Parts: sequence; structure tokens; C-alpha cells
Amino acid sequence: MTALWRALRRGLFANPLDGLITIALLLLLGHGIRALVHWAVHQAQWTVIKANSTLLALGRYPEPDRWRLWLVLALLCSASGLSWGLLRGPGWPRPDRISATALSLLAGLLPLALDLEPRVRWSWLALAALLLIWRWAVGHCRPALPPWLLRCWPLIWPLVYLLGMALIAGCPGLKPVPPTLWGGLLLTLVEACFAWLMCFPLGVLLALCRRSDLPLLRWGAVVYIELIRGAPLITLLFLGQNMLGFVLPGGLSPDRVWRAAWVLTLFAAAYVAEAVRAGLASVPRGQIEAARALGLNPLQTQARVVLPQALKVALPSLVGQFITLFQDTTLLSLIGLMDLLGTARSVLANPQFLGRNAEVYLVLAVLFWSCCTALALGSRALERRLRHEPSATQP
Amino acid sequence: MTLAERPALISVRDVHKWYANGHHVLRGVDLDVAQAEVVVIMGPSGSGKSTLLRTFNGLEEIQQGRIVIDGIELSDDLRQIDAVRREVGMVFQQFNLFPHLTVLDNLVLAPVLVRGRHKDAVRQQALELLERVGIHEQAHKFPGQLSGGQQQRVAIARSLCMEPRILLFDEPTSALDPEMVQEVLQVMQGLARGGMTMVVVTHELRFARQVADRVVLMADGMVVEVAPPEQFFTSPQHPRSQQFLSQIS
Repeated sequence: MTALWRALRRGLFANPLDGLITIALLLLLGHGIRALVHWAVHQAQWTVIKANSTLLALGRYPEPDRWRLWLVLALLCSASGLSWGLLRGPGWPRPDRISATALSLLAGLLPLALDLEPRVRWSWLALAALLLIWRWAVGHCRPALPPWLLRCWPLIWPLVYLLGMALIAGCPGLKPVPPTLWGGLLLTLVEACFAWLMCFPLGVLLALCRRSDLPLLRWGAVVYIELIRGAPLITLLFLGQNMLGFVLPGGLSPDRVWRAAWVLTLFAAAYVAEAVRAGLASVPRGQIEAARALGLNPLQTQARVVLPQALKVALPSLVGQFITLFQDTTLLSLIGLMDLLGTARSVLANPQFLGRNAEVYLVLAVLFWSCCTALALGSRALERRLRHEPSATQP
Repeated sequence: MTLAERPALISVRDVHKWYANGHHVLRGVDLDVAQAEVVVIMGPSGSGKSTLLRTFNGLEEIQQGRIVIDGIELSDDLRQIDAVRREVGMVFQQFNLFPHLTVLDNLVLAPVLVRGRHKDAVRQQALELLERVGIHEQAHKFPGQLSGGQQQRVAIARSLCMEPRILLFDEPTSALDPEMVQEVLQVMQGLARGGMTMVVVTHELRFARQVADRVVLMADGMVVEVAPPEQFFTSPQHPRSQQFLSQIS
């Protein structure tokens, strides 16, 4: 305790001027927090969130089909728990314990705070339990799993996506729910996930083309990347809504939601390509020469020697790109889609909730912040895992 | 059979290489390397010795002349180059091990992908090879965890795992700390004794003297002298050889 006190004194009150600045800042901070708490407790009217929580989460997704979304959530929780367990193994270090506690509290208290019906409350708790059970079970079994399984696990995410989309949109045997009824967080996540999954392979392909020996491929990639990076996303989104309609033959033109998803994908692919290119450039020439000298063909050289090293280098900037992409989905509200921000604006346009901007936007900010933090934390765990690869591949 | 009677595994005829900027690095090189022969190429830096070595497995293109490796003529045809690369191993100055793979996986990768062999069989062979170069305890470490000398021995084992008929060494000890040079040279000496056909670009005089069947001196993109080591080091014929030897000793 005294050590802490001394460290605080050295850091904050080293000389009179430091002390003065510290006190002034503390006063300012204290005032800000007091005002915020006062506002949150006495002035804010949280009914706007309580009354619209379902709308913000799902949009106008039809009531009788909502069980499908619960199933999607269960899939997502299972996949997350599985990945978490595979990344961390049997131990529960402190960050994991904190995350697990935070998750349980969130699942327990948030539905309570939102005044959701008891059935829904229990479902949330069940989902959190599902995630933690997967984390525990997979982490427990990890040392006994064969190495090929450890290498293939990221493939469950595209699989979960396909299954999830089949459940959300409907498939043979399930009643179709048109994209116009999706909204809120659901639409935001659908758009972001589609773009994440598609922009990565596209971006890698573009980066490889950009370094290709064939001038046509190289110049094609350069022109594409520079054109996309030279235009703001919002203009491309408007362009996509208006142009894709008459560029593609009538039947093929996707509807507004998918048009926007494709524009997001094509936009992000250009940035992913640049991140991957930086990674590719970091792989020394000698690596390619060694692979070629051993008789690997150009494709094998890229796939087995160059790309694994390049992607490891590019990972931090790729995750940054993915987070940006997630935040960019808010632009969809400007082209009239009912994503999270679009739904929020429609709620605020309701005369009943006039002037409740602060409450709604604060909740939105917290939602985005949690999603992005989760992404960042996950990617940091992945980076650590890759850096300590020795233990990962030891038989 | 004397050396001259053995069939040539590598046959180089009037090879020229120049760059678009007019720089002429190889100017009419002729050289034959027989089965089980160890040829050491020496010469001042910039003489084209590394470039010549890298033409033997198609890492460098040539503009004129013929190179025939084990009966396969190197041409622009990629299949020919791939066929040659399956028979010719190469050890680099900077080791060029794959840092994202374990030592064992470095060895296993190419035989499985290129020769289509079964992984378990290759693993077995790889472990034996690692034992031969004295690093089988490190099989599950990553290259970055090994010393330079150990890495270079892994690189040699990686080449051997493809069961090549010829091994090319491009200054294999130049990037090593002095105390690690010997361990690599010993491995190379063992290979030579075992009958491997080797072409070695190196500055190691002792290795050339003890192991080489012939020493080739290159200068300005040309072969100026080819001689058995005892003759080359005691009574070099060409003035460039005499100049080179006086500079390095």
C-alpha cells in the first residue's frame, strides 16, 4: 500500500506544478463523472431503450421465426467457445477469468435491466453457459487433439456463417424471410460477417496479383486497388445501389441489402490487399529461392512458404482493417438500410421518443465498443498463440 | 575409373549471362563435373562464382550456352527446370530455413509435396538425417531457436531429404561465427566421403585442400584455372590465380 502511495506521489505530485495540474484534472474529471451519473440516474429516460430493445436487435424480423435467430446465437456461442478453448488450452489465466465473469454478468443483468420477459432472460443465461461450457470442454481436451484439427479449426467460422445465413434467410424447408425485414444489430452483423469472409480471400488474391510477373494481372490489381482507395466508401455505396442495377442483367442484380454487402466487400478487399502486400514484401527473397530450389512449384511456394509468413506479419493490420469495416457498416444507414444506426434513427424519429438522442447513441456507442474490443482481444490472443507456436505443434 | 573417364553429371558449355543494363556476369564458362566429384569454386567477389552456381538449378537464367544436368537440358521449359531441381539440392549462405515450420517439418515439406511420398516414411528418414548431422534432439524446435551452425546443418539435411544426386553449396560458412564453421565443414566432408557430387563456392582454403577433387578459379565471369588442389595451391599457373592466392593467404 505504501509502495502504491509512493508511486502515485512520484507520478502525480513530483513538484508543485505537477501537483497543480493533477488536482485540476482530477477536479475536471470528477465533475464530468458526477454530471454523467446525475444525468444517467435522474434525467435520462431509459424507457426508449427498453421499449425498442428488440427493434434495435432484430429490426422487423417476424415474431414466429425468431427461434431461428436463437439457434444462430447458440451456433455463434458454440463456435466462439470452441475457438476460445483452442486458443487458450486447459488453463484459465486472469484475463480469461475476467472475460468469463463479465460475460456471465452481462448475460444475467442486461436482460434484467432491459425488462425482458423471463423466458428470454433464461435464454441469455443459457447462451452464456453454452459458451463457457464449450470453452471449458475444448480447452480441457486441447492437448489430446490431433494437430490437423488444430490447424483446421478456423474453417468452422465460414461453416457457422453458412448455417447461420441459412437459418436467418431461410432455406429449403424453412420459410424465407426477406432481407427487407432484417434490421438493427442483426443486419449490421450479417453485412459485416459477409464482408469479412469475402474480403479476405479477395484481398489475398489481389495482393498476389499485384506482385505477379504477368503485367495484365499486376496492372489490373493496381488499377482496382487505387480506384477503390481513391474514393470514399459512401460514394461507392450510393454508386453500388444505383449502378449494379443496370450493370448486371435484371435477374442477377442482388437486392439492396446484398448490393451494399458486396460494395463493402469490394471496398475492404482493396485495403486487405494492401495489408497482405506489406506482409508479402516482408518475406525475404531467399525463402522463395529455397522453396524453388527444393522443387516446390510457384503455387506450393506461395501457399506453404510465403503466405503463412506474410499473413502472420499482416495480422495486426488485418484486424485493424476488420474493425474499421465493422464500424463502416454504420454508413449503410445513409443509403436507407435499417442497420443499427438506421434503426436508432428511426426510433428517434418516433414522436414518442423525441429528444432521447443521448440515451440511444450512448447505447449504440457501447455496443460498437464492446464488439470491437472483443475482436481486438481475440486477435491479440491469436497473435500470442502464433508467436509461441513451438508449443502448438509439439507432438 | 579415373575422374576423366566418369560420365559428367553437370556439363556447362559456353555459358553467358548478361543483364539488360549491359552488365556481363558470365563470359563463356565451360565446366564438367563428374559423378561423385567435389568441385570447389573460388575467386574474388564479383567474379560470378555464385551466379554460375545458381544457374545449375535454374535460379538464374542464362542468355547463351548450354547446361545439361544429369542428362536434362536446362531451358526455358519450366518442367525441365522442375525436373532438374528435384535432382539438385542447394545450401545457401543465409540458410533460408522456413521460420514458420519446425526443423522436422522443414525437412518433410518438399519430399511430401514434390515427390508425393508418404509423410510417415519421410519423417522417419528426416529423423535419421538429423541424427547424421547431429541435431536430432532439436527436431521439434523452430529454426529461430537454433544457432547459425545448427541451422546450416538443418539446411543440409533438408536438401538431403530430397535424395538429390548433386548438392550445390553457395558460401555455406560465410554467414557463420568462426567457432561454428568447423561443424558445418565436417558434415560436408562426411558427405563428400559418402560419394555425393558436390559443387561448393567457398573461401575455406583448408576445406578446398582436403576435400576437393578439383579447384576452379573464376575471375571476371570466366574460368581462369581448373586444377587439383595440391597443384592449385602450390604452383598456380595463371597470373590471376597467383594474384588471388597471394591476396587471401
